[in-house]
Amino acid sequence: MSSIDRRTELYDELRYKRQRLNRLLPSTLNPPFVLLSPMLILFAVFLAFPIFFTLVLSFFVYQGVSAEPLLGINLGLVYITIPQVLDLQFVGLQHFERMLSDSVLHQSLFNTVYLFAVLIPTMVIIPLGLAIALNSALIRFRNTFRSLLLIPTAANTIAYSVVFVAIVAEGGLADSLFVLIGIDPIAWLQNGFWSRNLIAFMSVWRWTGYNMIIFLAGLQTISGSLYEAAEIDGATRLQKFRYITIPQLRPVLLFIIVTSTISIFKKFAEPQILISSGAPLEETRTIVYYIYQVAFQNLELGYGSALTVLLVVIVSVISLMQFRVGD
Amino acid sequence: MHEKARSEALWKFGGYGFVIAATMFVIVPIYWLLVASTLPQTEILGSAGSLPRLLPGTNFLDNAQALAGRQNANYYQSVINSVLVATVYTVLSLILCSMSGFAFAKYEFRFKEPIFLGILGTLIIPINLLVIPLFLLVSNVGLSNTFAAIILPWAAYPVGIFFMRQTMQSIPDSLLEAARMDGASEFQLYYRVALPTVRSGMAALSVILFLFQWNLFLWPLVVLQQDKFTIPVALTTIVSQQTPAFDQLMVAALIAIVPMLIVFVALQRHFVNGILAGAVKE
Repeated sequence: MSSIDRRTELYDELRYKRQRLNRLLPSTLNPPFVLLSPMLILFAVFLAFPIFFTLVLSFFVYQGVSAEPLLGINLGLVYITIPQVLDLQFVGLQHFERMLSDSVLHQSLFNTVYLFAVLIPTMVIIPLGLAIALNSALIRFRNTFRSLLLIPTAANTIAYSVVFVAIVAEGGLADSLFVLIGIDPIAWLQNGFWSRNLIAFMSVWRWTGYNMIIFLAGLQTISGSLYEAAEIDGATRLQKFRYITIPQLRPVLLFIIVTSTISIFKKFAEPQILISSGAPLEETRTIVYYIYQVAFQNLELGYGSALTVLLVVIVSVISLMQFRVGD
Repeated sequence: MHEKARSEALWKFGGYGFVIAATMFVIVPIYWLLVASTLPQTEILGSAGSLPRLLPGTNFLDNAQALAGRQNANYYQSVINSVLVATVYTVLSLILCSMSGFAFAKYEFRFKEPIFLGILGTLIIPINLLVIPLFLLVSNVGLSNTFAAIILPWAAYPVGIFFMRQTMQSIPDSLLEAARMDGASEFQLYYRVALPTVRSGMAALSVILFLFQWNLFLWPLVVLQQDKFTIPVALTTIVSQQTPAFDQLMVAALIAIVPMLIVFVALQRHFVNGILAGAVKE
């Protein structure tokens, strides 16, 4: 057989395989499919699959990695293998039973709920007040104030946590300021109560401007004629706030509360930095921090996944309740 | 009338007081960071009872040098890593989000609504919680300790897809129709017509994407090793000890925060649009 023949044969084989591959793909190779497919592939692999896998993993104990290939797929042109398999042992609901008596979990949940209780009112009231003030013609330099208040939105979570640690360290800026106004210094990082509140304090610093700008956008959609009509009826400032601003802002309020809830329940960076700097573990450990410890320090990936499922359920239930009340 | 003027003045006074107090609260830590990065360790932590040091010192270069000389983590390398990763991520995610946004906004196809709702539905799941399955996935396909591992998982960013869909909807259909008549291919419609039209929306989204990757922490902490550390992870290696070297730490924090603040001030309009785009969920 001549080399030209061989080449023709190879071409034929390649063409045949390509045709077979084309038949596997949707016959309607239409523009939206082409535009969407890269995103869909990444989405399926890195978001949809992990969500599903968390659920599966929560019923198993993970025992490391074994060498046997899990999967070999011959697609004609490429051969895909997934080289290692997870060694999993089914344990049913055991992880969820363990949660009932896991006192560390209970403490972490308490800490998170504490932050939730302190932060939700603060992260609504202060930004709302600022938005109202900066929406009113009474205040000048409104744009300057807005820009300055928005600065923390761009600050890296870890970096600002580090700055706050330096501020509250013994002999740091906080101590100096307290002495200046005649208050005894607080041992922020040695005292569980104060460490926990420091996390809340830092969150207020970080999110006030962010929530404010969303409230401002909401305020600007309220029609001025509503206020004019109330003015003619002789409504006071407080009455206008109570009967116009609040009802009109309802969707925005709901949005702020739901997103703040999610951000509080996934808090990880601030506790991590405080704990590394010596703050007491018990009072500052949040639920995500506990998941991190369980999964990546104790390598109990199954139990970590079960805790993740618990957290997603908690956050979803709270969000749904908020939607119910808010609508 | 007199009564009304007095109440007006009171509101004004209270309003200014509140706004100025809040602004001070926001600014003081930033200003203090600028000052502290120029001070030696002994002056960053005075003894309790001393007056705070409020003017910059001259130790900035010394601190920066000490930071470079650290044994266990190369902080300046992590800055390069962060810039590289965030830039590549932003470009990749912009392409993916704008392509899918265009498809969702301007085409009809089967399963359009369910796919879109499925993507939106993942918004409620905090990304930090996907770390365990992602870790298994990434280490099984040999991607652990690569930049790809921190870029690819969030490249199909649901907020970005949603935002691009909203933005692309504002492109008039007649414009696309006219381009079609002129013989433009469907891909050219996206590339030559749609993209230039939504330029400011792309700018808003790119600020949000860059910042998202720049701030990503838990996932890089889990998946990266020392030579690949990004800024937030490298920062934790400096803080993890009983008496942190605050002089080095302040320079490190300055590098992590101030470039972003400059970007923020320069692109504030886009930035605010980006925040609001994420917020308006109709």
